Amino acid sequence: MSSNDDPDDVSRRDFMKGVGVASVVGATGATIAQQGMNHLELVDDPIGSYPYRDWEDFYREEWDWDSIARSTHSVNCTGSCSWDVYVKNGQVWREQQANDYPRFDEDLPDPNPRGCQKGACYSDYVDAEQRVKYPLKRTGERGDGQWKRISWDEALREIAEHVINEVTEGRYDAISGFTPIPAMSPVSFASGTRLINLLGGVSHSFYDWYSDLPPGQPITWGHQTDNAESADWYNADYIIAWGSNVNVTRIPDAKYFLDAGYDGAKRVGIFSDYSQTAIHTDEWLSPNPGTDTALALGMARTIAEEGLYDEDHLKEQSDMPLLVRADTGKFLRASEVPGLGEDVDDPEKVMVMQDGEGELRIAPGSLGDREAKYDDSKSIELDFDPQLDVETEVTTTDGQVPVRSVWVNLNEELSNYTPEYVAEETGVGEQTHQKIAREFAEADAAKIIHGKGINDWYHNDLGNRAVQLLVTLTGHIGRNGTGVDHYVGQEKIWTFNGWKTLSFPTGSVRGVPTTLWTYFHGGILNNTDEDTRSKILKSVNEGWMPVYPEKREDGFRPEPTTMFVWRGNFFNQAKGNVAIEEVLWPKLDLVVDINFRLDSTALYADIVLPAASHYEKTDLNMTDMHTYVHPFTPAVEPLGEAKTDWQIFRELAAKIQEIAERRSIDSVQDRKFDREIDLQSVHDDYVRDWATGEEGALEDDEAAAEYILEHSEESNPEDGDHITFADTVEQPQRFEAAGDHWTSDLEDDKAYAPWKDFVQDKEPWPTFTGRQQYYIDHDWFLEYGEQLPTHKRPPEQQDQREYPLRYNTPHGRWSIHSTWRDSEKMLRLNRGEPVVFIHPDDAQRRGIEDGDRVEIYNDLSEIEAIAKIYPSSEPGTVRMWFAWEKYQFPNRENFNSLIPMYMKPTQLVQYPEDSGEHLHFFPNFWGPTGVNSDVRCDVRPKGGED
Amino acid sequence: MAHDNIEIADGVDHQVAMVMDLNKCIGCQTCTVACKTLWTEREGTEYMYWNNVETRPGKGYPRNWEQKGGGWESEEHTQRTPGEIPSSEDYGEAWEFDHEGILKEGEDKKLAPEGGKPEWGPNWDEDQGAGEHPNSYYFYLPRICNHCTHPSCVEACPRQAVYKREEDGVVLVDQDRCRGYRYCVEGCPYKKIYYNAVSKNSEKCVFCYPRIEGEGPDDEVHPPACADQCVTQLRLVGYLDDTDGPIYKLVEQYEVALPLHPEYQTTPNVYYIPPFAPPQHSRDGETVDAERIPRSYLEQLFGDRVNDALETIERERQKVERGGYSELMEILQDTNPAEQYRLEVFDDV
Repeated sequence: MSSNDDPDDVSRRDFMKGVGVASVVGATGATIAQQGMNHLELVDDPIGSYPYRDWEDFYREEWDWDSIARSTHSVNCTGSCSWDVYVKNGQVWREQQANDYPRFDEDLPDPNPRGCQKGACYSDYVDAEQRVKYPLKRTGERGDGQWKRISWDEALREIAEHVINEVTEGRYDAISGFTPIPAMSPVSFASGTRLINLLGGVSHSFYDWYSDLPPGQPITWGHQTDNAESADWYNADYIIAWGSNVNVTRIPDAKYFLDAGYDGAKRVGIFSDYSQTAIHTDEWLSPNPGTDTALALGMARTIAEEGLYDEDHLKEQSDMPLLVRADTGKFLRASEVPGLGEDVDDPEKVMVMQDGEGELRIAPGSLGDREAKYDDSKSIELDFDPQLDVETEVTTTDGQVPVRSVWVNLNEELSNYTPEYVAEETGVGEQTHQKIAREFAEADAAKIIHGKGINDWYHNDLGNRAVQLLVTLTGHIGRNGTGVDHYVGQEKIWTFNGWKTLSFPTGSVRGVPTTLWTYFHGGILNNTDEDTRSKILKSVNEGWMPVYPEKREDGFRPEPTTMFVWRGNFFNQAKGNVAIEEVLWPKLDLVVDINFRLDSTALYADIVLPAASHYEKTDLNMTDMHTYVHPFTPAVEPLGEAKTDWQIFRELAAKIQEIAERRSIDSVQDRKFDREIDLQSVHDDYVRDWATGEEGALEDDEAAAEYILEHSEESNPEDGDHITFADTVEQPQRFEAAGDHWTSDLEDDKAYAPWKDFVQDKEPWPTFTGRQQYYIDHDWFLEYGEQLPTHKRPPEQQDQREYPLRYNTPHGRWSIHSTWRDSEKMLRLNRGEPVVFIHPDDAQRRGIEDGDRVEIYNDLSEIEAIAKIYPSSEPGTVRMWFAWEKYQFPNRENFNSLIPMYMKPTQLVQYPEDSGEHLHFFPNFWGPTGVNSDVRCDVRPKGGED
Repeated sequence: MAHDNIEIADGVDHQVAMVMDLNKCIGCQTCTVACKTLWTEREGTEYMYWNNVETRPGKGYPRNWEQKGGGWESEEHTQRTPGEIPSSEDYGEAWEFDHEGILKEGEDKKLAPEGGKPEWGPNWDEDQGAGEHPNSYYFYLPRICNHCTHPSCVEACPRQAVYKREEDGVVLVDQDRCRGYRYCVEGCPYKKIYYNAVSKNSEKCVFCYPRIEGEGPDDEVHPPACADQCVTQLRLVGYLDDTDGPIYKLVEQYEVALPLHPEYQTTPNVYYIPPFAPPQHSRDGETVDAERIPRSYLEQLFGDRVNDALETIERERQKVERGGYSELMEILQDTNPAEQYRLEVFDDV
């Protein structure tokens, strides 16, 4: 205790010196004389010799804790940031980045500390009001927020009875499980997925549904998506951030973009607004919304016309030399050319090119020359010089046929994108876009970071393909510091095999493209144009895209009845939100939400089960933004009656088994797969290690995590170290290897960068042609004139005259999807409720001022928000940073209420049509994307301002 | 002590300092949250942001703080400039929300700040800036107490409850001696002292002294939380008089790190690398050779020296772009974490 209270009233300095008269009266309104200065000990000089410092312990005592546990956050942000969670007096107090990712390349910026402001306050959630502490059963209508507390036994029994009924009635394929992004917590992902797999239920895709999947990647490169880890940005000397707002959506990775600017790299931003990333670039281009494809093709035209392309790369690695029949628009096949293709398995699926002598040659590594989609025994390396510029006639089994190379076709397409046209269409200047194209082509290592600004449009596939074309033309692919890195969502997990076999032990999986499933059951067939409707039906009927429940033998297709949602907020985040609420949701007899907080899906569920928070559980965490694995460990016990996801689903399995045994319920033959659904063994099957056959081995969460690490090449390769769970607790571990679902090896001292298997090792690309394929000769692509990338204006979902403003719902700074949208700490750092960003002119024209309450509306709905004047917006667009919860709007509509159900038919295809090796439905690899950027609205001041 | 050309307050042995690179600030506010979670969740502190990040141009936090006076009239440090105390509206209330009622008790209302629509908050004008698309401009400015060499807050306190520590120059408000008169709040031109209406004391950024002293259970020296947790590592922390350290180089040698509002004459010990931005666009969408952020605006914030600083940064960037080496560019990147925080260089701290 310092002795400040001692008497003595004179201070050495005249505190009033230089202070204006107004300040003589202090803040309290009292005069100095009244303020009790009479008994204060003298301080000689408060600068440098203040004597009464014992009080400083006051703040020192705050800097105190009892224990620290390593954990992270199971949110779909791709951050995968390792945190230390500080516990004081049995409560989680705070968190701080663990700061101990090991460096693997000293030339790169330090990987530490990863994190963001949301992660820095997850601790608030642990005992927040919205926390679910015990099982809840709805007593009011869905969405009313009226509940009764029930016991775990009551909750599990009710769910189990329902599930048993569905399975025994043969409606196991009416049971859905929605949980996204395994990488953020694979044990939790697997928990419900494993049970649903044992029950014969349906597992939902997420990457396509969220419109995170860039269709152009499977279309052109034959692969789901593969990206460099963010550290590789720093290896580029030219970086274009194109519709990817990394300073907002990739906060832990932004450093690599920022530091690159001090390391000699030029950073270009392409955003319609002067975005939070544009502000830290060296040049910003501002194309009109929805014109990115035209801009990219304009840049491609400059590169092609000025000879800035990488000819060797195009000849070996792309479909540019392949010949296309001018009469049919189809690739010329070896089977059509007498004398060609005699040495290949299936000459009908082998393409043809012309060598320097004018001879026709097969394109090695074409699908008909490979064992399978991926075939590393073949090479696309050439011993001849294929010609790019080919326009000739060839003798075929159909007679003389005019053919042209893809390169000639492409150049004809590109000739439309004159500088004048591009400037007119995109608003980006004639000189500027050409200059950027030249600089990009001439850089040693150039990279494009590609994001949702392109990927949320209906024609996202065309946008992807046009942007991809730039790296293919210039050969900026398959090396460090190059490529198109598409960072939207998270398509895959490093520890693939361990995760897959834990999640889907039977190997018989009812995967479903969630966009199609949701819209199909939401009534899209009655709410779309005839062409789309007929193509959806064709795709479903041909079996290109599955919809569950399956059509029964009598032609009847039951409705879905049951939905489990965990680790996601399906109902809130569903596009076509009005239809989902009005049409799909009533079909579901039972919605179970497993959650640590009451989000909108929980609010509209029938039973809510209390899940352990991220600081109360054991799991793993990883991301394709980096190459490490690290864990969740419990800092404290779960609050109230909460349990981990693994324990919740295990206990549900136990309850189902208990009832089934008591009633001697017979097993059910699965109608699609060769297996029986046996409810009497479902818990035994759940906890069995299917790899070793050991019974009861997977009872607890850590055993499940260990299973994943043990059975994955990335963490337990044949020729490397086995990373155990304990290792990850000690320190984040860099993976040992990259398995088959990656397209490059993981090298010890280098950032991961994709596509080296094909570009450097010359394996055939997993496409129809075995090359990067810009020409797609599928009938539907030909029908739409999309055999090559081409610019099309967005198909407006609303009449522009009636709804003059574009409605954009980008990912924002203040939440990870809907997580943290309800956080008091985060809300206090923006405006506390939904905000819409408006250009000053658009606001003024409507009599709207900053801070006014407004209604945003279109033909579907109207929603309320606070207007924020955003001078950096392009005119004509309003932005609502997405993922506000339904209960943050007065009428319980939400940001997705203005988005209709729509999808692009070309994303429903199989290619080749008969066999589908290049494109076929596989969850999160290929399926229709849930696009949402082509929407219009208008805004008006809300009447009766409060 | 001999500090060459460095100005340190008389009686202070070493002066803590911080350099913040505005070209690496992405406005994520991880620093703000790190600070808040650690220091200002006690009763009466909820509304305070000892560390805040504001969008510039903008009114900042508290609202219009630059127009509220404080500081010194001249570099003589004899006459203080009169100041005023921001109103509670200028800070914004710490809004309360009724999650419980809506989500668990069936109340038919939306989740929003209770008690009506707020008019201002600590980050109210986020991303707004100035100008007009496509030539609008904005950047982020993180702010803490500047732990000034000539702290007008110290001078303002009639009780002498505000002081500057001998060993490191950290400016503190004695929580025992303070009676909450708020002369310091008036006197600080940066409005970085806050009144706690519950404890009836004023409180402020403590430069995380318990962390830099290594006073936690782990006995380890930690940089201030705002710096340590900064995701882009835009802050360097150390001592101004550590002439081997990067802060000395940035401030004294390259002169690219500048104090905010030097005309307030308090001689801050927080320095900023000024921001650069992509050039403007012409009407027909061409990039044109015109700076986006008006120089006059940056001069308002950082004084005339901002011109030389930006020129130096540009020159060094170009050097690296051409393949050359630049110590300055090296310092500004996070490739050498050991140099980012030099808090254990002096034995007497």
